[in-house]
Amino acid sequence: MIHVSDLKKTFTSYERGSSFGEALLSLFIRKKKIIEAVKGISFDIEEGELVGFLGPNGAGKSTTIKILTGILHPTSGTVDIMGFTPWKERKKYVQNIGAVFGQKSQLLWDIPPLDAFYLNQAIYRIPDSEFKKAVNDMVEMLDLKDLVKKPTRQLSLGERMKCEFIMAMLHKPRIVFLDEPTIGLDVIAKGKIRDFILEQNKRGTTFILTTHDLEDVEQLAKRVIVINHGEIVFDNSMDKLKQHLGEKRTVHITAKEKINLENRDGIVVRKQLSDYDIEVVIDLSVVKLNEFIQKINEESEIRDIAIEGPELEQIIMKLYSV
Amino acid sequence: MTGLKPKKEAGKWRFSVLGLYIQGVKTALASRMAYRGDFIMSMFIMMIVEFSGPVITMIIYGNGASFPGWDMNEVLLLQGIFLLSRGISFPFFMGIVWNTIGRVQEGTFDLLLIKPRSILLMSIVTAFDSEDLGKLIGGILVLRMALKRLPEQPLSHWISFFILFLFSIILMFGFALFMAGLGIVWIGNYRIYEIFMSVMDFGMYPKSIFSKSFQSILTYIIPVSLLASYPASALLGSVDKDVILALLASIVFLLLGLCFYFKIVRNYTSAGG
Repeated sequence: MIHVSDLKKTFTSYERGSSFGEALLSLFIRKKKIIEAVKGISFDIEEGELVGFLGPNGAGKSTTIKILTGILHPTSGTVDIMGFTPWKERKKYVQNIGAVFGQKSQLLWDIPPLDAFYLNQAIYRIPDSEFKKAVNDMVEMLDLKDLVKKPTRQLSLGERMKCEFIMAMLHKPRIVFLDEPTIGLDVIAKGKIRDFILEQNKRGTTFILTTHDLEDVEQLAKRVIVINHGEIVFDNSMDKLKQHLGEKRTVHITAKEKINLENRDGIVVRKQLSDYDIEVVIDLSVVKLNEFIQKINEESEIRDIAIEGPELEQIIMKLYSV
Repeated sequence: MTGLKPKKEAGKWRFSVLGLYIQGVKTALASRMAYRGDFIMSMFIMMIVEFSGPVITMIIYGNGASFPGWDMNEVLLLQGIFLLSRGISFPFFMGIVWNTIGRVQEGTFDLLLIKPRSILLMSIVTAFDSEDLGKLIGGILVLRMALKRLPEQPLSHWISFFILFLFSIILMFGFALFMAGLGIVWIGNYRIYEIFMSVMDFGMYPKSIFSKSFQSILTYIIPVSLLASYPASALLGSVDKDVILALLASIVFLLLGLCFYFKIVRNYTSAGG
């Protein structure tokens, strides 16, 4: 569905300097700076996938998404999405995509979201029957009821974000680009939005999710592409991502007797809360989990144990620091 | 469902360019009317401000001075036409200038580019400025006052006037395209609008009051004299042959504006993520 090959984008920027003198000088002489935002990335996305597109600030992910949505023209490379080259056939192409930007609203502040939906109906040429059905279905799914008839400014952030989703999906896009869709939302609103995304994904919509919220990624994405310094540093399934730091588990143990796990191969003590309470990270390629538990039980008699997989945050931090 | 629901029309005309534009106007009006007091006040102020030019003209003529070759009522007619041209272009399409400047600055120009319509159409649809309807009302009032004081004109004069007035609107659209394009290049530069207003103000006076060389600039290079001077002359039956060159210049100006605007949009770099 999406084929991206050797995509590059360079920007020309001008150095301005920070001091008053440099700023004054920049009015007459400006030093050109070429920024390579995207350095020849390639990837494919199949229909119905829900892909997390991650990267630190300035990594090139927004530039890539803007090229994929037809907003920007690349410097070189090819993009084929549903048979379209986004920047060449923008109008036809964007009829098939939707986008939700957590920090850029498509709603109109002083009038109800429903009126903004009507404007979108005219923009996307949606027949009345389809429009009504789409609005009613999504209003019900997102539990909005009559809120769509209240002025946008009177809605909470969560309610507004739900309306942004309706706005982006009224025309039944085959691909939806999500940029920080849950930013600033409370746990309940986040949950509702995530359920909605998963439901729409089940119905066949392809999602590309750009976010810094790793909980979104963990709960939604089946595949993750990580971009850093304009290059792809990881592209694989969520499970593979979790194995990226090696097969590691975090084990929290509370025991009856004193626990001593210093200087043992494959075991790193992360927190020693007391003589009887410890948190360790075990490398499963060195130590077998069942043997480890058995040994500790024999030595200190386990009273409570909790085993957790690798933390996504650590993995992402490692990828970002490359 | 209620709200700004489009009327149940037969056919799909409301998805046409005009239908979409009307939906945009309705949405903008509803947005603006959310603050009724401010909406009415702004329109009234806009209308009053527009009267400053004609009032100055009346003061000039009241003190015995004049614009050579034009009596007071003829100048008022010219200024009425100038205000009418502004009154049509400002609310209905000139808003693309500050719409583009503002959106590029905040990064929401992207939201227009992900819509399956021409970016120019989207910029116009989302830029209807209801406050400027005050300019239109002001223009109609001044024009009506001037026409009442002048002898009736034959139909041929009116036809010439309407043709030239159409070109006046075309010229304004050309201006809008250049200004909007510059708004993408020079991010957040509202001075563009002020420069435009200053250039446009030359159109509020008869062409004949300027020096010959400046008249040439106002006719052949930036044909500002088409804004009001030529349409007024046509209505009064005294248009000169240079008007053909001014018309050609306005078409060239519009085409250059379109090329410039779309070239700039193509090179749009968007705001940071």
